[in-house]
Amino acid sequence: MTDRGGASGPDRLSAVPDEVGSGPAADPADLLDAVGRGDEAAFGRLYDLIAPRVYGLIRRVLRDPVQAEEVAQEVLVEVWRTAARFDPSRGSASSWVLTIAHRRAVDRVRAEQAAADRTMKVGVASVGTPYDEVVEEVAGRLERQQVRRCLDVLTDLQREAVTLAYYQGYSYREVAELLQAGLPTVKTRMRDGLIRLRDCLGVEVTA
Amino acid sequence: MTATDIHALVGAYALDAVDDLERAAFEKHLLECASCRAEATELQETVARLADTTWSVPSPRLRTEVMAAVSRTRQVAPAAARVNGRETGTSRWRTRLVASAAAVVLAFGTGAAVFAVQQQRVRDERAVAAAAQVREARIRAVLAAPDLVVRTSPMVGGGRVTVASAASQGAAVVSMHADTAPSPTQAYQFWTIRGTAAPASADVLDPGEQAVVEVVRGVPGNDTFAVSLEPAGGSLSPSDIRATVNLV
Repeated sequence: MTDRGGASGPDRLSAVPDEVGSGPAADPADLLDAVGRGDEAAFGRLYDLIAPRVYGLIRRVLRDPVQAEEVAQEVLVEVWRTAARFDPSRGSASSWVLTIAHRRAVDRVRAEQAAADRTMKVGVASVGTPYDEVVEEVAGRLERQQVRRCLDVLTDLQREAVTLAYYQGYSYREVAELLQAGLPTVKTRMRDGLIRLRDCLGVEVTA
Repeated sequence: MTATDIHALVGAYALDAVDDLERAAFEKHLLECASCRAEATELQETVARLADTTWSVPSPRLRTEVMAAVSRTRQVAPAAARVNGRETGTSRWRTRLVASAAAVVLAFGTGAAVFAVQQQRVRDERAVAAAAQVREARIRAVLAAPDLVVRTSPMVGGGRVTVASAASQGAAVVSMHADTAPSPTQAYQFWTIRGTAAPASADVLDPGEQAVVEVVRGVPGNDTFAVSLEPAGGSLSPSDIRATVNLV
């Protein structure tokens, strides 16, 4: 925990770069602000900054590169369309974008859920992302390591509940079924797991 | 559901592991609880970090397509779009109405667009995207109405029907999802029922179609909304009612 923002009152105008790693010069929140005012060039820069995470996340959830591209396109255009909606007092710009991306991916999974036999996919649940077209980046690698290390801090049930929901798009009811646990237990594990993850990653939101 | 019960969903909510109705209920809860809002924001921020491990560079074609789509996509205005959780004295009532409608929009909105795309698997992706946008705009217009009333009911055999009705719009957004698909020779049909009059058909889904989000005109003013299972193409009166939603 840092003491930076605490006593000195609301300082959300001076965006203190709290993020891990030495990110590129452009700040997603500033870019998003410009995008909200119709700046297409700023959107291009924002695209370069966030598209790999948006596409990677959607692809991880959908497990189909072609569909993932379709959904990523929808999401990125939605970011352009609704950029003015972003409210910096309610979280970071990248979290805002990734929330849209994750929800769209999950919507797509659930819309197709009935057709596909999802239990077939459980077997490959814990296999990592195929990195065929991946360009590794040092800052990105550090972030990944930190997230992986922090996931290891969770109990097995917490980790499974969190990752099945996030990376596979399962609802907590489905997670309960998969883990053969009660609904209240799964809800608690998800919450406790995320709290532990938050503390390990040092995530802070100064409203 | 008590506040404690609903707040237990905060982790599942941050992970998008809740259904549309739970999400709407949870977002309503957030409007009434500042500390819960802070926790939810922090957990969402944490969840976003999980995407750090999935970094993958898309093909350059995606960038070209997105930039082209952006150049012909109109942006929403900030004033209309921004929903602020904070309430100030005088505008409290209004904020609450707008915010709760927004929660419903969030609950229906993205799903509606995806369904729209799913429902019209046509080769021409542009036509699909345009159609989806029109549908989504109509859905949002109803859901944004200040007099919106949301009612829901389970379906026989699993699934749910939600009717979000706005008298000022003369229409409702109906979201239906059945757990099992009808056979290819059967279809779901929507009905509105008023008093003792015969049920009036409101729509017939495609044969075998099991999920839909759509605007249905003329729903407000009726007593009941019903879903029945019929032979493909629909019937003149309902034969096998699978769900009824009370509108009054």
